[in-house]
Amino acid sequence: MTVAAAAPSTLLVAGIGEMVFSSSPDSHLVAYGLGSCVALAAWDPTSGVGGLAHFMLPSGPTNGSGPVKFIDSGLDNFLTALESRGAVASRVVLKAAGAASMLAIGSGLAIGTRNAESIQAGLTARGLKLTAVALGGTAGRTVQLEVGDGRFVVKSLSTVTEL
Amino acid sequence: MTTLALSEAGESVVARTFSRAMRRAGQALGSMSGNVIDVKTPMLRRCTAATVLEMAGGPETVIVGVYVGIKGSLQGHALLLFSPSDAHRLAQILLASLVGPHESPAEASNDPFDFDELELSAITEAGNVTISAFLNELGMHLHEAVQPTPPQVVIEMAGAILDAVLIDLMSDSDQVLAAKTIFTEGGREIDGTLLVLPRASSLPVLLDALGAIGI
Repeated sequence: MTVAAAAPSTLLVAGIGEMVFSSSPDSHLVAYGLGSCVALAAWDPTSGVGGLAHFMLPSGPTNGSGPVKFIDSGLDNFLTALESRGAVASRVVLKAAGAASMLAIGSGLAIGTRNAESIQAGLTARGLKLTAVALGGTAGRTVQLEVGDGRFVVKSLSTVTEL
Repeated sequence: MTTLALSEAGESVVARTFSRAMRRAGQALGSMSGNVIDVKTPMLRRCTAATVLEMAGGPETVIVGVYVGIKGSLQGHALLLFSPSDAHRLAQILLASLVGPHESPAEASNDPFDFDELELSAITEAGNVTISAFLNELGMHLHEAVQPTPPQVVIEMAGAILDAVLIDLMSDSDQVLAAKTIFTEGGREIDGTLLVLPRASSLPVLLDALGAIGI
């Protein structure tokens, strides 16, 4: 009996609170069905390393949670992991999407709005900035980072946008 | 952390509560639409949010959801979910006797996500009635009233709808009571899923209420 080796997967999915990386040009990094969560895509054009993080909340307790569940502690985890794969933070192209407010939940500022503010403030505090965003609104989004060329595709029910 | 751990007897009490609530929901929808509508919950399960997403067909699958927040002594969230095609069919049944045969815009545009105001209003009301019936059934055994928020209908990717709810429950448990819900009128059956997501701090309240019902 022969066992065929599994073909390497080119689709890497970041679930809630997870991050994925690749330097393989045929890889696609995906986060499905973002509501008020935020996806941050990072791509280094020199090393070809790409990463995608799926953040859930601005801040929270770090013990026992995923590496990028919270933006405040997760940004450093994400950037450190990205650099350990050969990327250089100062030259990565950063794009973010998500942070929608689709359900009238709770009182006060919607989580989506707080997430959008938090990701921008967190990057600014580290001397980094977003070059393109699709943040806020009321529509859910699926995002995909093409590691081969850094394209960041944002899909909602009615639109497909390339950032 | 309090978990939604129910004994076998407890599970059957929850199932009976759901089924009593659904009888009331059927009566309410029936008197609203002038049809005999039967609502059943043949399958109740306790699961995690990840399982709910699998049940919905994955995070990117588009669903029609009616959301009601729960405030008061019992806090959390409730959702009634349908596939777009089942949501259209439910709207047709509810609207038939109110406004006569109603042509869905989805038929004309061939876009299953195309709903008009009347359809959305009928689906919202179905969700509101069904969720309220369950809350009323529980509320009879709580010391304080349960206060549902106004219902809100959304047509969205399943992951996007659930992530907002899960984020609010964060640092709480993500355990969900999920009941397969079937609406029947004449020979027509429509499948829905009723989700109840209590805050962890409300679990003891929920279990007390259920206990009062019959454990």
